[in-house]
Amino acid sequence: MLKRDHQLVLPTQARAPGFRVELRGTTFRLIATGAWTVAEAVRLDTALKRLRVPIPPTPDFTGEMDIAGIAEIDTAGAWLLQRTANAWQASGLRTHYAGATEAFRVLIEEVQRRGNIERPKLEKPNPLTQFGEDMTKTVTSVWRDAVQLTAFLGEVTAALGRMIRQPWRFRRTSFVHHLDHAGFRAVPIIALICFLIGAVVMQQGVVQLKPFGAEPFAVNMVAILALREVGILLTAIMVAGRSGSAFTAEIGSMKMREEIDAMRTLGIDPMDTLVLPRVLALVVALPLLTFIGDIMGLAGGGLMAFVVLGLDTTNYLDKLHEAVDYLHFMAGMIKAPFAAVIIALVGCLEGLKVEGSAESLGKHVTSAVVKAIFLVIILDAVFAMFLSGIGV
Amino acid sequence: MIVENGREVLIRVRGLAKSFGSQQIWDGLNLDVFRGEILAIVGGSGQGKSVLMRVITGLVKPDKGEVSLFGQNAKALSTADRLDIEKRWGILFQDGALFSSLTVLQNIQVPMREHLDLPQAMMDDLAFLKLSMVGLPPNAAHKFPSELSGGMRKRAGLARALALDPEIVFLDEPTAGLDPIGASDFDHLLRKLQQTLGLTVYMVTHDLDTIFTVCDRVAVLADRKIVRTGSPGELQRQPNHPWIKEYFCGERARAASPPGGRAKIPISA
Repeated sequence: MLKRDHQLVLPTQARAPGFRVELRGTTFRLIATGAWTVAEAVRLDTALKRLRVPIPPTPDFTGEMDIAGIAEIDTAGAWLLQRTANAWQASGLRTHYAGATEAFRVLIEEVQRRGNIERPKLEKPNPLTQFGEDMTKTVTSVWRDAVQLTAFLGEVTAALGRMIRQPWRFRRTSFVHHLDHAGFRAVPIIALICFLIGAVVMQQGVVQLKPFGAEPFAVNMVAILALREVGILLTAIMVAGRSGSAFTAEIGSMKMREEIDAMRTLGIDPMDTLVLPRVLALVVALPLLTFIGDIMGLAGGGLMAFVVLGLDTTNYLDKLHEAVDYLHFMAGMIKAPFAAVIIALVGCLEGLKVEGSAESLGKHVTSAVVKAIFLVIILDAVFAMFLSGIGV
Repeated sequence: MIVENGREVLIRVRGLAKSFGSQQIWDGLNLDVFRGEILAIVGGSGQGKSVLMRVITGLVKPDKGEVSLFGQNAKALSTADRLDIEKRWGILFQDGALFSSLTVLQNIQVPMREHLDLPQAMMDDLAFLKLSMVGLPPNAAHKFPSELSGGMRKRAGLARALALDPEIVFLDEPTAGLDPIGASDFDHLLRKLQQTLGLTVYMVTHDLDTIFTVCDRVAVLADRKIVRTGSPGELQRQPNHPWIKEYFCGERARAASPPGGRAKIPISA
């Protein structure tokens, strides 16, 4: 902001910006006063837009921007003046400034010079074609995702093969770190959730089966459900939300800060250092967590069986033995490593797809969780069909 | 308004103390920033140059001491007064700190949108004007920060800092990471903006070329306070302090300012 006088502090009424237009002889004069600054720009803008551009009756009429009364001016004020001057100029008035200090003149000339540059047009697409394009993009992206994920699975398998031939390339510290974060630290929350769901299912089962006099079979239901479906699904979904998102965020922010490029140039393969330890850690951790989930689900059911059915521990365990066998347990457990691979692959792949902005990171973290959970459920369905096909 | 020696003091810092843990970075730091000057803050690393900027702008609380902004005590400000003061300064962070989800044009318009109620057409006009004033090509307007080079990001950050025509701008290492041509362009740009807009510039810098070509005054941070202020020439002629001597009379300083002095970028349009 430029002031006419550096020492001057304006009283409030003198700050009020204003202007009037008068015709003297053959000169249209715009007499501007007060503070022409960005804070006053809205008021000035509306008033100036209401002002009609004078039409010169003969070509020898001129325009004058008298700014001797302006006490403060900044780029917004200068731009407003200049816009008016340009409009007058366009209507055939030769317009000049009067009463400008040296500093004011420099600013106004700068604004005049800068204001005339060509602007790039931002093309607004037709909403219908936009909709069509979005639709096509979304549909093709499903296919592209599938291809990318398959390719990534291939890359990880190849990296695993390399590592088996050269075992010293295995990143033990990183593996243990992820085992701790994705596995050990997830134990309390997964135990709690599975316990609660086991209890809820048992209680509901008893209530629903009572009219048929079949309430003892609630134990069979809970046992089969916990071992075959609930344990693995709940655990996998929790891990996808906890660790899949963390993988994407970690790798994504490294990608944003060019750390991954730095690794590549140092001859370090991000597959070895970042992806493999995470995938392997999850492949180890998820079955263990699933086992804990299974046991806690059964324990929750047991507590409810005691409360609503009056079954003590011995009876409950006997009933469990009758209801389920080793195959039921394995039918749930077999899915765990597959779910682990899916969650880790999706998490790492989405992380590697992050681009420069924070928004992109957020988008990929979200899509990692959504895709991982979706794929885990698909996997569960495929296994359900397969297992019933082979009669387990 | 505080006036000293006939010049208006925009920012006055008195008796500032701050420590992080057991490490005391300043004790009794005093500083004045006058209207219309380009002031450089120099000092060794760990002397708290960037922290001082953060204390003045209210991002970090000092342990002791007073900061006056435009003649008002920063501690006694009401929320509304504080907001008014924030409209009167612009800050350029080291890497521009542009919002990554907005285009350059939208970034420049953020302060306008937040503090004023301007019509969109006018915001566009003003933003393009600022864009051109900091020397960015018009086609940068619709790009995202991640699509810009480091130098362009700094310029875009400066354009955002200038969005509301502030009276003072704070620059944190404006020429760091720019090539010599880019840095020299930035120096010229600063000088030019200071003249056209009547800006006061407070910058944290290491760049001796910038100091000798654009700065009116230098404040040296050492021994937990501002040990000296003066024009770059004065400090070079009479260092009076080992660190200043090393800094202003070393090999690099001699290259940046040969004997006989180096001409400042002239004041012209």
